[in-house]
Amino acid sequence: MILAKNLTLSYDNKKNIIEDANFMIKEKEFIFISGSSGSGKSTLLKSFYGGIPIKKGNLFVNKFDLAKKSDSKLLQMRKDLGIVFQDYKLIQEYTIEENIMLPLKVHNYADDISRSQVKKLLKHVKLSHKIGAYPAELSGGEQQRVAVARALAHNPSIILADEPTGNLDDYSSDMIWTLLKNANEHLGITIVVVTHRIPKDMGIKYRRFNIEEGVVYEAS
Amino acid sequence: MKLLKSFFSFAFPLVVMLFMFSIYLVVTKVVNNYKNNIINDYAIVVIANTPLSTIDSLAGIDVKDIEPLSREKIIKNVHKNLSDTSIELLQKKLPYFYKIYLDEFPTTLKLEQIRKELMTVSNIKKIETFSNDHNKLYSLLILVQNIIFILFGAVLLLSILLLSKQIKIWFFEHNERISIIQLHGGSLLYSSKPIIKIILGSALFSSILACIMLFVVITNIQMIIEPELMVLIPTVLSMEMEIFKIFILSIIIPLITFFGLLVKYKLK
Repeated sequence: MILAKNLTLSYDNKKNIIEDANFMIKEKEFIFISGSSGSGKSTLLKSFYGGIPIKKGNLFVNKFDLAKKSDSKLLQMRKDLGIVFQDYKLIQEYTIEENIMLPLKVHNYADDISRSQVKKLLKHVKLSHKIGAYPAELSGGEQQRVAVARALAHNPSIILADEPTGNLDDYSSDMIWTLLKNANEHLGITIVVVTHRIPKDMGIKYRRFNIEEGVVYEAS
Repeated sequence: MKLLKSFFSFAFPLVVMLFMFSIYLVVTKVVNNYKNNIINDYAIVVIANTPLSTIDSLAGIDVKDIEPLSREKIIKNVHKNLSDTSIELLQKKLPYFYKIYLDEFPTTLKLEQIRKELMTVSNIKKIETFSNDHNKLYSLLILVQNIIFILFGAVLLLSILLLSKQIKIWFFEHNERISIIQLHGGSLLYSSKPIIKIILGSALFSSILACIMLFVVITNIQMIIEPELMVLIPTVLSMEMEIFKIFILSIIIPLITFFGLLVKYKLK
């Protein structure tokens, strides 16, 4: 659950990127955040994982108050999130297996459990044959599927995705949307996606928030 | 190649610092050995009007033994030239002589302090420290030890600066990995694991290299120092404890530097 009360965000304390936002994202919801370039949609998503300090108001993520964050509690809160970025943010020195294992290692899962979970996920994202490869050996679409697999690895309650299909062709984009839809429908994970391109036929119920000049409102 | 270069950039100042430390340890060992040798022969002689009571320590140095000198022997040495009445009078008037043995050889300053402390004992008339024979060489050795210690301190500071610079470079190089791990809830310490591994690897390598250098110095010591100074070097210069100290220092200094930077990084 994500709850924003009079949320104001700013990078430099001068110009507010998001102003006085009030909204609630319930468990198991599929949410799109859209808006024009530079409207602040990525900044809003960033605030959900504590990537930007809160200037005013309150932001609760899974009952954790990000306005009163402490380092250790913030890290604890992040353990229950899965994050997907436009530029994938895979660790180049790690193999695909090691990249997907990362959240499991942070959670102190036993090695054998982690490995079997990675195998399952790679099968799910249709990349079983790439288990020992490095990110640089994969196409953009494949890297993003690995990023989604990593976000799903520890069965988080929320997945935050920032333009997950921004750099991908239509075929890869469709695969990513399917993976996110399945995670929401079958695993009950809350999905929050920042995008400027909402797919025409999602086939599931979703809500959309739009941002214009720092104002967040629910679009129909 | 890049990894090797950064590894050596870290190991080099560490090796220099450890080598300097090992030289300091060798000199300390030589000084201690000299001190132990001379302390067995060294004693302070005091002359007292009445028998001397027990003294536990002088100027912070434990008193090993107080040995009274036989008055009969002294009288025997001079009795040929004296009449019986004079001898009788001498027996009555002759003061008490004592040799005070210490646990360690005192420095000039300590000797002065010992002299002052003994002078406060009311029945003591005269004190002879016989320090000149040993004192010059001992003071010289202490001077050399102190100079090496100061040099070691300077090298240590410089090494810490160079080590912290290299660790900062590693933090910069691993910045992306660290931030990705932190995004997944990993702590800064957890995400810095690869840096800790390189640090421990370099520390181990440096301590081995410093120990090899120390071994080379010890086995070839007669080529390094003047022959007349060889009397100062113990015939068996065992360095097991010193090697352990070098190893511990090689681990502690990089880790302290690392954790110092980690705190700074965290505060940022």
